[in-house]
Amino acid sequence: MTRFRRYLARRVVASVVTLLGVSLIVFLMVRVLPGDPARVIAGLLASEEEVARIRVQLGLDRPLYVQYGIFLGRLLQGNLGQSARTSQPVLDEVMERLPATITLSVVAMAIATAAGVAAGVIAAWRPYSIFDYALSAITLFGVSMPVYWLGLVLIIVFAIQLNWLPAAGSEQPGAIVLPALTLAAFSVAIVARMTRASMLEVLGQDYVRTARAKGLAEVLVVARHGLWNALIPIVTVVGLQFGTLLGGAVLTESVFGWPGIGLLLVDSIFSRDYAMVQGIVLTFSTLFILTNLAVDLLYAYIDPRIHYG
Amino acid sequence: MDNRRVRSRGPGFLTMLLVVGLAAVTLGVAPAGAATFRVAVGIDPDTMDPVQLTTTTVSNMIDYVVENLTTIDESGKVLPMLAESWTVSPDGAQYTFKLRRNVKFHDGTPFDARAVKWNLDRVIDPNVRVPIRASYPIERTEVVDSHTVRVVLKHPYAPFLGALSWGTSGILSPAAHDKHGNDYKNYSHVVGTGPYVFKERRKGESITVTRHEGYWGRKPHYDTVVFRIVPEAATRESLLLAGQVDLIILPPVADLPALQRNPAVKVLLAPSDRTIFIAANTTKAPLNDKRVRQALNYAVDKKAIIQNVLFGAADLMDAPMAPSLFGYCKVGQYEPDPARARQLLAQAGVKPGTKIQVLHPTGRYVQDKEAGQAVAGFLREIGLEPELQTMDWPTYIRTITTPADKNTTDLHLLGWAPAFLDASQQMLQFLSTYAPPGGLATSFYANPEVDKLLTAAERELNADKRKELYCQASRIVWEDAPWIFLWVQRFPIVHSARVTNVSSLPNEKFYAIYARPAQ
Repeated sequence: MTRFRRYLARRVVASVVTLLGVSLIVFLMVRVLPGDPARVIAGLLASEEEVARIRVQLGLDRPLYVQYGIFLGRLLQGNLGQSARTSQPVLDEVMERLPATITLSVVAMAIATAAGVAAGVIAAWRPYSIFDYALSAITLFGVSMPVYWLGLVLIIVFAIQLNWLPAAGSEQPGAIVLPALTLAAFSVAIVARMTRASMLEVLGQDYVRTARAKGLAEVLVVARHGLWNALIPIVTVVGLQFGTLLGGAVLTESVFGWPGIGLLLVDSIFSRDYAMVQGIVLTFSTLFILTNLAVDLLYAYIDPRIHYG
Repeated sequence: MDNRRVRSRGPGFLTMLLVVGLAAVTLGVAPAGAATFRVAVGIDPDTMDPVQLTTTTVSNMIDYVVENLTTIDESGKVLPMLAESWTVSPDGAQYTFKLRRNVKFHDGTPFDARAVKWNLDRVIDPNVRVPIRASYPIERTEVVDSHTVRVVLKHPYAPFLGALSWGTSGILSPAAHDKHGNDYKNYSHVVGTGPYVFKERRKGESITVTRHEGYWGRKPHYDTVVFRIVPEAATRESLLLAGQVDLIILPPVADLPALQRNPAVKVLLAPSDRTIFIAANTTKAPLNDKRVRQALNYAVDKKAIIQNVLFGAADLMDAPMAPSLFGYCKVGQYEPDPARARQLLAQAGVKPGTKIQVLHPTGRYVQDKEAGQAVAGFLREIGLEPELQTMDWPTYIRTITTPADKNTTDLHLLGWAPAFLDASQQMLQFLSTYAPPGGLATSFYANPEVDKLLTAAERELNADKRKELYCQASRIVWEDAPWIFLWVQRFPIVHSARVTNVSSLPNEKFYAIYARPAQ
């Protein structure tokens, strides 16, 4: 237990250092982009005098290291600064929009995991069968399809033609179905392929043959002896996919008008809203780090032979 | 045996799950009540505060709640709104407004001279962010009596009444400045005098307004209006076609012909004030030669581009400004004439194969990228070698507004929509003092005669004389050709055929406050 605590403490420290690194990189990245945030915010019709005033209000007239120092100082107090575009505290804006993105990503993740694992297991159980080939074709399709295209096709079929589901927004019931399916498509394919590969390896092991030989029901052989032992790489890929899903949410939210943080990030980048971009990227990074930590902790549960230290 | 059962269940089970899932969620999709009017727009407001406005679409939504002293009609004419009448002093520097009586803000406080003074003082307060403050050269505002205000300007400014119709000078309830999360510097919950009351904003999703039963003017039909934020044009179109909204703006332009054929919807290609042009860097050779710039104008077949690239959603420019502006007069046409273009280039000593950079934004204006490519094609036909380049919007503005001595651009596509419908706002583009870094006249055009005419026009109070001054300036600018004059963009609005009374204002706004179900 002590070793575990030490491990956890090390991971937390490493996460903080990673986040600091991310904050510095993002801070510099948004600033090397050409473009004057004050002009973008003020609009084309604003006078230069007004633009200069906004520049001072945003503190953009100060040296970079001073700006970064202020940013870090605020960060330590849990303050992500104020959005240049909306004049609202970044933390409030992020917290207002984050639940929508997390909901979408978690639902998409659930779909991707359920469908991907099920498809992968069946494909590995009967390798080189018609189902396996069909799965390969479908997963290739899933990986290659642009989110934008798939989203619009789903809208045309389920919203316009069948009128079953809302085409956009999040307020109406069922509104999450189309964006979640769109977002899940890519990850379903990845999870399915990883499951198939991992399962194929496990199902070829001696203990699986033994289980079958002693007359265990096939379902139990596949689920308990096969899937359970194949889980480690699957859990790893699912964890990594969560990061991909957060990234994919940016596009999906634009297509479906889903009021999440992805849409806010796009608007913020295009208006060079430095504080907001920094806040959102830090939030994404924190989520990603937490997911990876959760995955690492899950390993020991899945495979008791794994020790932390 | 077991194996077979599992195999046959696999895909079937998944399909069943999907169908059940879909059926369960579809039960909840009901059309909104008949008394709700639903609009889909592409922009999530950066601000709800009128003084901070930079975007017409946001202003369009706020118009439901907040009113101004003046307004404009469909032709762009300035009309009374919260001001019933006004007089202008002989020197043109003082405006006295008689205010409408028996008008109350949505919070029940009276609309009066003090409220107007509070709002106009706020427009000129340097502590408040007001991007287009320069359009309001107000020295001070005086309360004459409870329903009369006098506005003293720093200098005569003929377009002032037009400026007062623009969202920036919308009249808010001063009493609400510290309520609903508002503060003096930033209103997020607007309280005005308009036909609708601001109810709720769900960021990134929707804005809801409800009918103001105590409205002083004509009451609208719909109880509730919901503006849905849908950035993707194709999705907005889908929402309309699926009957999930009643009106959209800016559908995908390539779909306009199909929408026009669809009896379930009506398409309005509303005239707008946005001119689209390619500005030439007039300080840089060979574009510092008028003949070269004229050659470029003769080279481009704008009609063909409007027809084939913009699907008819634009009108040819025949003056340096849109016809909806006060001060417009038709000046001419550069009919496509490649032979003449080549001849002018030869006269100016421009050799065939000369490289010329063409910058264009992507996704900022209707079919901007495609238009840039089409223009480049025409320039190639007269022997030039255009090099197309695009960049994101902030980088784009930065590049084209680099001061002349460091500016390396040749040609760039740009759109310009004046905040209010007056030539003064458009002709800034040809005022030498408005060149970067002081302003955004990105062709760096400088003609002392034009400067003189424009300065005189801004102070001229006689409308006919003022118009004539702008006409004279327009003729000179047209001849000097600092731009490749392209087109005046139309503003596509599409609404369900089940609603009627939808129209437009000539500054890229839809006008649907009095929309109602079609019979």
